[in-house]
Amino acid sequence: MTSGPYNYSYIFKYIIIGDMGVGKSCLLHQFTDKKFMADCPHTIGVEFGTRIIEVAGQKIKLQIWDTAGQERFRAVTRSYYRGAAGALMVYDITRRSTYNHLSSWLTDTRNLTNPSTVIFLIGNKSDLDAQRDVTYEEAKQFADENGLMFVEASAKTGQNVEEAFLETAKKIYQSIQDGRLDLNAAESGVQHKPASPGRPLAAPPSSRDNCAC
Amino acid sequence: MITSKMPSLRIDQNDLKCKNGCDYFGNPQWQGYCSKCHREQMQRQRKAEKASSFTSTLPRSDQRKSERGLKLSSHASFSKFEEKRLRQSETLKKTNLLKFNVFKKNITDDHEISTERRQPEFKIPTAVFEGMKADFRVRFPSFPPQIDRDARGFVHTFILDVIKWAAIMNVDELSERVQKQYQRFMKHMETSQHYASVDSDARELLIDFVEKHAMTYLHELPSIVFSPSGTDDERQDRAMSERIQQLSWVGEKHLECKLDRNNAECRRLLYKAISELLGMDAARWSGAKLARVRRCARHVLRLAAPAPASADDLLPALILAVLKANPPRLISNINYVTRFCNAQRLMTGEGGYYFTNLCCAVSFIQNMTAESLSMDKKEFDCYMAMPASIGGSAWAAALSLCGATREAEEQSALAAKLLEQTKEIQREAENMANNAATFEEQIAKKVQDVLAKTPLEIKPRRELPRLRREGVGSAPPPTTEPGPARTSEPPALLNEPSVVIDETEKLNILGFEVVEERSPSKSPQLDRLSDLKQSSSTELLTPSPMVLTPFDCRSLDEVLTPDEFPDNIPGLSDVNYDIDLSDFSADTSLAEDPPAPDRRRTFDPFAPQTSKDSYKLLESFDEFSIVDNARESDPYEVVHRPDPFGSVLDNDEGRASILDDSGSPTAACLLPSPIQPQNSAKPT
Ligand SMILES: Nc1nc2c(ncn2[C@@H]2O[C@H](COP(=O)(O)OP(=O)(O)O)[C@@H](O)[C@H]2O)c(=O)[nH]1
Ligand SMILES: [Mg+2]
Repeated sequence: MTSGPYNYSYIFKYIIIGDMGVGKSCLLHQFTDKKFMADCPHTIGVEFGTRIIEVAGQKIKLQIWDTAGQERFRAVTRSYYRGAAGALMVYDITRRSTYNHLSSWLTDTRNLTNPSTVIFLIGNKSDLDAQRDVTYEEAKQFADENGLMFVEASAKTGQNVEEAFLETAKKIYQSIQDGRLDLNAAESGVQHKPASPGRPLAAPPSSRDNCAC
Repeated sequence: MITSKMPSLRIDQNDLKCKNGCDYFGNPQWQGYCSKCHREQMQRQRKAEKASSFTSTLPRSDQRKSERGLKLSSHASFSKFEEKRLRQSETLKKTNLLKFNVFKKNITDDHEISTERRQPEFKIPTAVFEGMKADFRVRFPSFPPQIDRDARGFVHTFILDVIKWAAIMNVDELSERVQKQYQRFMKHMETSQHYASVDSDARELLIDFVEKHAMTYLHELPSIVFSPSGTDDERQDRAMSERIQQLSWVGEKHLECKLDRNNAECRRLLYKAISELLGMDAARWSGAKLARVRRCARHVLRLAAPAPASADDLLPALILAVLKANPPRLISNINYVTRFCNAQRLMTGEGGYYFTNLCCAVSFIQNMTAESLSMDKKEFDCYMAMPASIGGSAWAAALSLCGATREAEEQSALAAKLLEQTKEIQREAENMANNAATFEEQIAKKVQDVLAKTPLEIKPRRELPRLRREGVGSAPPPTTEPGPARTSEPPALLNEPSVVIDETEKLNILGFEVVEERSPSKSPQLDRLSDLKQSSSTELLTPSPMVLTPFDCRSLDEVLTPDEFPDNIPGLSDVNYDIDLSDFSADTSLAEDPPAPDRRRTFDPFAPQTSKDSYKLLESFDEFSIVDNARESDPYEVVHRPDPFGSVLDNDEGRASILDDSGSPTAACLLPSPIQPQNSAKPT
């Protein structure tokens, strides 16, 4: 009964943050659709940033909230953070400024999420190694100091993209197993959907979010 | 049901004014509203009843339900309305609580329970559970009844719990408590064996179901979950609304969103998005509100088409939509969803994502500065100092244009539909005309067939002296003769007498007949009558339907005295009666002359008819007869048309009938005459 593509036991909410132009939307797109679209903006419509992955034999639906990247909205995008199980913090290895802003992003994330939220640092555009502005070692040190996981990735080539998302999920799943993450707290960003032992009584809902109107 | 309770709750309001507090006067017929507010109220009620057959017996805070619907009228009228509403909101806020308590007291009175405690006396209207039952059957037809009962029981405790704690707790605590309730139900589903066979998707639907019904009811209660007492939600609503008015000058270029005001499609999408935003206030539970937001966001995302929209485009466009919509009670709505929506849903899912974007848009609007619009501080201040009515006219105009366009589209669609229907009707009419034509042909053919058979028998028996003199015997077969171009049956019958007559003489005779009809001179007529009486040709025709139809009264009037009236001849006496009434109206009042049971005067269509009578019919056939044909149901009717022979009757027969009008069966038969009451009422 858990074989269907829409059967999963958990939903994890991710947010993806960082300065504008670092490649957040591209990373998301690469992860969900395994595609890189150079200068084309990315859809958040239809299945809106979701993909089902498998961690330790458990199907997990990742739901990634892309945020508006414009600087002017920086101050108001705080409500995105609420209830995120994972936060992907992205900078552009070819632009130092994006790296320098990381501390403020980190502060926001720490303030606006719960302690169990897993924060993953991604140095994007690793394919542009020639224009590198931030060394791997420097960023790695920053990550270690702040207890973040870290990879350099490329939304263009897809290198390490999958890993970043999967590692985050693994870490979250671990916290659940450890009991560090309270599934019942709405802020946890994790929704548990216990697998059904019997056959489903109700027909699968035609639309997940049916409403009264 | 709700509103009927209102009068007792109106404590200190001026009864003359509309209960909504608008400047118009109310009317008890409209439950104390002015006509406009009443109409709105009724619509709302109907909508609510349709949505779920709920009716709350608790007083709704109608004044606060200032839902503006989806109508996007001009911006100016919006703001005026909003202002008016907000002005009251402060006082209402206080009275709402009071009302609620008053109501509770009312219930105690009704049930004659004299107790100070509130909980036991508070009753959730059964309609809530009836609605739930029906909804359950629709949504989960295959679930065991135990789950249905379970869900209802849970909603019951949920509602009571919230109402109980709302008075004591602050909003955040209450919100937490509600969230705990959701979790409690989730746990219950996990542990109870009734739910063993229910998969997790269905469980989510169930918890939605529970939330929907509980919150829909609670939403209607004043100051419990929506703009709860102890919060300044309403004040914030007002502040927000005023702020949006102030910012009406903000356009697409300030927000750097790719919107083209001159593009009709773009306007249309924005208009739709705004409609959804405005509709959010009308939705009662968070799920429905979220659905509105989701639809709104989808329209907004399509604004960026043909390029697919990204998160970078969504927010600015959404901000613009909020600015142009100025949705009613925006902050209250957002807080309501944030606090009392099942948090799991809000954290995840598309609805949650878009709702979060809406929250961002709102907080952006609240904190908007020159910087955030990347414009000069001076310019910004200048815009802000400007009266709200000046700015934003371009978009307001564009959007109201959009509204008008949509209405026009609707109208034209309707017109097209009507046109289609007209065509359909026309087609049917043509069909019908064709049918009628063929029918006419058929009948004509039949009649001619009959005619072809009959004349041979008729001819020798005709003993009209005048006609015989002119050589009746040499008449040609009648089948070829073209009858007067009337309808099928009567003309054919009318033909018959003339068929008998020699072709050469026909015109003469016909001419004579016409004259006879118009001027009812007596003597030749009588002559002819007695002549024609002997004709057996008409006797042959008696079984034909024509004879069953009303006859002409003249023939009988002239031949019979009232004493001799044959009972089975309908309508005859009516003529007399009409005439009598004009002279002796007082005598014929209903009171003096009660209708005798109509035992004898039943009209027997198969009763033998005098030949004279039948012939008369043929002879005097005219357009009146056609009329009578149509109303077979009431053969008496015929006498009420203007009688060309009135003078005749007046002269010789009228008096006689007067004398016996009370005793004769005529009186009874005349009752259907519409003339009678008139005459008796006003003596002439
Ligand atoms: N070479 C290269 N370019 C990238 C990569 N990721 C993103 N970009 C480019 O960076 C620009 C900004 O990307 P976008 O995803 O819109 O950034 P966002 O503002 O963070 O969402 C786009 O023009 C992308 O083509 C990458 O891994 N390599
Ligand atoms: Mg982006």
